[in-house]
Amino acid sequence: MRHFTRLAALAAFGAVLGTGTVAQELYAPNLAYRTGPFAATGIPLMNGQRDYMTMLNARDGGIGGVAINFEECETGYSTEKGVECYEKTKGQAIVTQPWSTGITLQVLPKSNVDQIPILAPGYGFSPMADGKVFQWAFNTPASYWDAASMMLEYIGEENLKGKKVAFLHLDHPFGKEPLPLMEKKAADIGFELLPIPVGLKEMQNQSAQWLQIRRERPDYVIMWGWGAMNAGAITEAVKTRFPMDKMIGVWWAGHDADLKIVGEDGKGYKSISFSYPVLDAPLMADIQKYVVDEGKTLSNEEEMQGVFYSRGLVISMILAEGIKVAQEHAGTAEISPSDLRWGLENLNITEARLAELGMTGMVPPFQTTCANHTGHSGGWMLEWDGEKFQKVSDLLQAEAEVIAPLEAQMAAEYAAANEPWPVSACN
Amino acid sequence: MLNQIFVAPFVDMFAAPDFLLQVLWEGLVSGILYALIALGFVLIFRSSRIFNFAQGIMVVFAALTLVGLYEMGVPAWVSVVLTLGVMFILAVSIEKIVLRPLVGQPDIILFMATIGITLFLIGLGEIIFGGENKVMITEALGIPTGSVVFEPWGGLLILEEKDITAVGVAGMLVVALLLFLNKTRMGRAIRALGDDPQAALSVGISLQTIWVLVWFIAGIIALVTGVAWGARAGVSFALEVIAYKALPVLMLGGLESITGAIIGGLMIGMLEKLFEIYWGQPILGGNTETWFAFVLALIVLLFRPQGLFGEKIIERV
Repeated sequence: MRHFTRLAALAAFGAVLGTGTVAQELYAPNLAYRTGPFAATGIPLMNGQRDYMTMLNARDGGIGGVAINFEECETGYSTEKGVECYEKTKGQAIVTQPWSTGITLQVLPKSNVDQIPILAPGYGFSPMADGKVFQWAFNTPASYWDAASMMLEYIGEENLKGKKVAFLHLDHPFGKEPLPLMEKKAADIGFELLPIPVGLKEMQNQSAQWLQIRRERPDYVIMWGWGAMNAGAITEAVKTRFPMDKMIGVWWAGHDADLKIVGEDGKGYKSISFSYPVLDAPLMADIQKYVVDEGKTLSNEEEMQGVFYSRGLVISMILAEGIKVAQEHAGTAEISPSDLRWGLENLNITEARLAELGMTGMVPPFQTTCANHTGHSGGWMLEWDGEKFQKVSDLLQAEAEVIAPLEAQMAAEYAAANEPWPVSACN
Repeated sequence: MLNQIFVAPFVDMFAAPDFLLQVLWEGLVSGILYALIALGFVLIFRSSRIFNFAQGIMVVFAALTLVGLYEMGVPAWVSVVLTLGVMFILAVSIEKIVLRPLVGQPDIILFMATIGITLFLIGLGEIIFGGENKVMITEALGIPTGSVVFEPWGGLLILEEKDITAVGVAGMLVVALLLFLNKTRMGRAIRALGDDPQAALSVGISLQTIWVLVWFIAGIIALVTGVAWGARAGVSFALEVIAYKALPVLMLGGLESITGAIIGGLMIGMLEKLFEIYWGQPILGGNTETWFAFVLALIVLLFRPQGLFGEKIIERV
């Protein structure tokens, strides 16, 4: 009996000690995918995110003096595994980074109950921009509808009127996400929209989809690709001799490694992006000093020069800034998920702040509010020059007057379909 | 609607015969690669009654090993030989560590063991090679990367040279396999083991040797398939899902029939492409390739449960 009493006392002491340990770090898990069919595009993003947090922990001792525990939970981009990861990590987490539109849609209804912010930078459900309805979800700094709007804006209304636009997309919630906006713009401008789905099993064998493109002769191809679909589409485009300068991909279809497969043949291919690698940025020097030189990175020199690694850095910066703002507001470094929500709602990433962070030119300035959870940063058009992506446009902005009413309408529909769904007044 | 189903597709075919030829060619290329993967399944099933779930990951593992060795500075063709060596070691290891202790166990146990092999190879491959997309060493292997253009009936027919090579190599591999199975002692031993395991063992055919051999042949097939598919869109773990396309081929052709695997693969490759282009896209919005082959195989199974070329199994109870 005495033996058990000692054990119980030891366990209680351990629990107290354990609580102390947890309190000295902020647990910000990442629902990563370094395995499976989408690993090729996931790895550089995850590496960028991880390296940014590693750098903050090494250089500044974390954020506000508290270390960030940036643990990864592997999902393989599987929605089921993603939900398992969410359930496993939510107990201590101050944030959920679901890393898939499918997983985001699954955890979204739980967000009001669990009250943990969902941070889905540049992905997820576009109406999450409406912070009154989606109080716990953030797709900062730009949504898929922003991307679609900017791509169409880049092509130009005068070039679209009366034309045919093929919309080559992954047959998955991610791929279908921009369809409402694309359909509205097709009706408004007067172009024919031709959706062409690519099944998960057909990602590397898209000959049927490209035969359709050859037959239909679209004037432009807009690609909503991810993972192995991108390389498959670009190689088929080269094979079909579709003019590369008439093909534009979403920001997840602008991965250097995908284009390196076709090299020079991919010249002219474009991708919209809310981030851009600036290799001589002061941030990169810190990453080199505190992460690479210390042997703490999982990345490599070639990958670190690419668009996706750089985007991973930007995504972690958004979270880190949210934590910092929350700490200042709450008056404590050990913030709660609710504090972080406030932080993410009050981001103000100005040019001056980007300069302080050593990230000038890596992401456009943006600002979030209680009602605006996206920030609508805008983006740049990047073009593949045969070796790497180059910026070929000034900052593009999505059409707020078209997107905002659609966001409000679909957010209201979502809330109505999921009643009782709390809606904030954002006063 | 009736016009769209029964008239319009055929009008389209006659109106643009060059496009029809292109569709058939793309179907042939896919079909022969499906047939190759299916052959890997059939060989192992014939000799051991094991449905090898690991065939898909073997394609990825073989292709990654080849590219990985080349990236380490090993010359391309030496990398091919070394990759074959790795696939042989894999075959020996699977036989010794996984299959031999399970001899005599129900088929489902052996099937589950191949799922274990799949998970192991995924982990091993990711630890050694990482999950990044890699460029197949097409040019280093001497595979031509240009295209041949024809203008039949004033139209356009583009044949990629790497696809022509893939069809040629796959065709030669199929012929070589058929010759091996029908004309050599070892090949006959594999067939004997498939036909009657007890009788085969009683005349001195070594189960262990045959299992190593068929798994090694499946490894060779995996390497050829990996090179062919990898040359089209890079080498990544996404290649694994292509193996699932072989399942309807097996249902259609029969799990035990080599002829069935070849004809089934070609049939599915071409029919799914024709259906997608002329019926699926105009009527159903496309992406019918994900289910067409399975529906076709199910229809065949309704009338011939053993598949088109499978042997009818009669068991006394």
